[in-house]
Amino acid sequence: MKRPPILLFATSLTVCALLAACAAPAQPAAPAQPAQPPAEPTQTPTGPMQAPAPAAGPGTVVIPPGSKIRIGGSFALTGPIPDPGKDIRQGAEIAIDDANAAGGVNGFMFELVAEDGACSGDQGTVVGNKFAADPTIVAVTGGTCSGETFGLKPILLKARIPFVSPSATNPAVTGEDCDVCNRVALSDGLQGEVDADFVFNTLGFKKVAVMHDSSDYGKGVAEIFRDAFQKLGGEVIAFEGAKVGDTDFRAPLTKIGAGQPDLIFFGGYATEAALIAQQMKEVAGLENAKFMGVDGAYTQQYLDTAGAAAEGTYMSFVAGDTQKDKMDAFVEKYVAKFGIEPSKLGPFHGQSYDSVLLIVEAIKKVAQTDSAGNLVIDREALIKAIRGTSGLEGITGTLTCSPIGECGAGGVQVFTVENGAFKQIFGFGLQ
Amino acid sequence: MSQSLVVAPSLQRRAQTTRWIARAIALLICALVIARAVAVSLAESYPLTFWASQLVNGLVLGGVYALVALGYTLVYGILLMINFAHGEVMMVGGVAGFFALQLAQALGWMRGPAGLVAVALLVVMGVGMIGAMLTGVTLERIAYRPLRNAPRLVPLISAIGASLFLQYSVLLVFGVSPLVYQRPALISGGFRVGPVFIPYTGLIIFVTSLALMGALFVIVQRTRLGRAMRAVAADRDTAALMGVDVNQIITFTFLLGSALAGAAGVMLGFHNSVIKFNSGFIPGLKAFTAAVMGGIGNIPGAMVGALVLGIAESIGPSALGIPAEYKDIIAFVLLVLVLIFRPQGLLGEALAEKKV
Repeated sequence: MKRPPILLFATSLTVCALLAACAAPAQPAAPAQPAQPPAEPTQTPTGPMQAPAPAAGPGTVVIPPGSKIRIGGSFALTGPIPDPGKDIRQGAEIAIDDANAAGGVNGFMFELVAEDGACSGDQGTVVGNKFAADPTIVAVTGGTCSGETFGLKPILLKARIPFVSPSATNPAVTGEDCDVCNRVALSDGLQGEVDADFVFNTLGFKKVAVMHDSSDYGKGVAEIFRDAFQKLGGEVIAFEGAKVGDTDFRAPLTKIGAGQPDLIFFGGYATEAALIAQQMKEVAGLENAKFMGVDGAYTQQYLDTAGAAAEGTYMSFVAGDTQKDKMDAFVEKYVAKFGIEPSKLGPFHGQSYDSVLLIVEAIKKVAQTDSAGNLVIDREALIKAIRGTSGLEGITGTLTCSPIGECGAGGVQVFTVENGAFKQIFGFGLQ
Repeated sequence: MSQSLVVAPSLQRRAQTTRWIARAIALLICALVIARAVAVSLAESYPLTFWASQLVNGLVLGGVYALVALGYTLVYGILLMINFAHGEVMMVGGVAGFFALQLAQALGWMRGPAGLVAVALLVVMGVGMIGAMLTGVTLERIAYRPLRNAPRLVPLISAIGASLFLQYSVLLVFGVSPLVYQRPALISGGFRVGPVFIPYTGLIIFVTSLALMGALFVIVQRTRLGRAMRAVAADRDTAALMGVDVNQIITFTFLLGSALAGAAGVMLGFHNSVIKFNSGFIPGLKAFTAAVMGGIGNIPGAMVGALVLGIAESIGPSALGIPAEYKDIIAFVLLVLVLIFRPQGLLGEALAEKKV
């Protein structure tokens, strides 16, 4: 038993690395955004010497003249859905530009502090701690993904920083126990049920298999679909998990193929969805099975990766009640600033704009100027003001926050892929 | 070189006891696994074709692992060092192949006659291998050679650093979105053997792996360079005294291992459609596992270990009736069991015993 100790060390290292990789499916620490200095609170017109120490209690944010109102943003810039994450960030930047062009609040301008939440709970926690440690952060837009938002949620709740997520759809993102938690996207509670109804009644399929990527988002929506489908009287022959970042799904697909389902429903993001749609064509028993994905996969990335295999697959999306003229104006500014159509990157830019809009309007309501010319924002008042949003006209419809923080308008849409493009065939807003 | 250590009898006894406890636990695990497999096979009756399909999945997976595992084993055999950046070398090969493929598509080669497409595919694979070879050799020159006489943990840590460096360099240069390999029509789809579907890409991976492994075997066993490699593996200093250029042989070893990894990267790209900055990480770990399981330093051992691992991963979840996301656990339980019963690996460490 004279094993070289190096081998033992290497083996244990491998196992540790793999365990770590399982806990957080290969989410790299992001190449960070250029680090922002926490604030420049001493820069007042009276000179650095005599800066009247703002009477900031823990419950208020005091912004000296010349400083900006800082809104944090947690975006999935790396991880499984980098393009939609970038789209959401850019949508938020347009919203900040618009708010500033409209004069800001009492002459104070807004600033977006973008961080990479990487679509993972671990990185969401890192970003949450960063924001909580920064006393100048007033509110947060994000996170992009449900798992990431679960990382942010307890930290922001404790720090009394309200957040509005444009795209985290897991039902548990909001709840009665969390007064700082809000979102513009619709809950998967709705999406899973509409999808089950579509598959069972419209497509007429009675036997399906359900797969998910083990993320909070993917597994959550897959479970809702499974339960709703069984309640309708359908048969779910398999409930199989994979991991975000997996690329070979042939083994679980072969297992599913043995039961010959009519359709595979997948809760997860674009790349994994595309690879499943592609690889199921190579598996016995699935030659005629259809594929259906959810909003996390409703992207150009899915179409590009799956190629010909995407044709005839279904995809659902939690759509806003899009106001066409407002959206057109938004897209024009977006293209002018970033040089790309937002829909080429992801679907949630409208919701992202509205998340920031909601925060900005609430800040306008509660912000006050004190005798020294500082802008004072009371955190508790801001939390209440966001939750009290009512009848706000956004790009994605009239936004009114429910008592638990569901602020979005709209409904679930179902698309199919035809000639390499999504075409709506069912659900909200279909003419 | 083995100095016989004098160990107190009480310590020896304790080591004996620990070993027997470990074996007892391992036996218990084996018994549980077998009981579970029997129970599942009685409860769920999958048709035989199902197992055949999973076997095909496993062989393809094993072929990829084998190509990468050979790189670990070659380097370990010569340098007694684990090149943890080897998975990333595979990934870089895949990325290089991707750009060659883009070029071939832009030139219209992929829509030409079958012969042209086949040539283009070989060129893509060649570019991937060259990309990986350049990476591997550079790595050896910069990250490992200066540390050649350092304690053994030092180059290992350097390798981990190199692995992170390669991953994040690719991340910075090519972004986070996966690079998508478009399969030409020639290798899309597959054929049926009875009811079992075999994708063309899977067949290509398996056959190419066997061919490349055969070529490697011939190089190591039948050529002058191979003889020099074996000499350096047996005793570096003596080999140098006999006129073998040790540095050149080590570079050549990295070249060989990296070429195989590059081929694996390109074929994995075609098989699974996507390559991105962390695509090499998990396959690299699995291949390392396979190399250790087969007996590190032992070339046939790496192939056997890889095929066993691939098959266990694809058949295991169904046979044990557990969700497919636990396939990694199966792989590592298998590794632990092999290490308990046969610490030298399935086929034994061919070269290492002389060194320790």
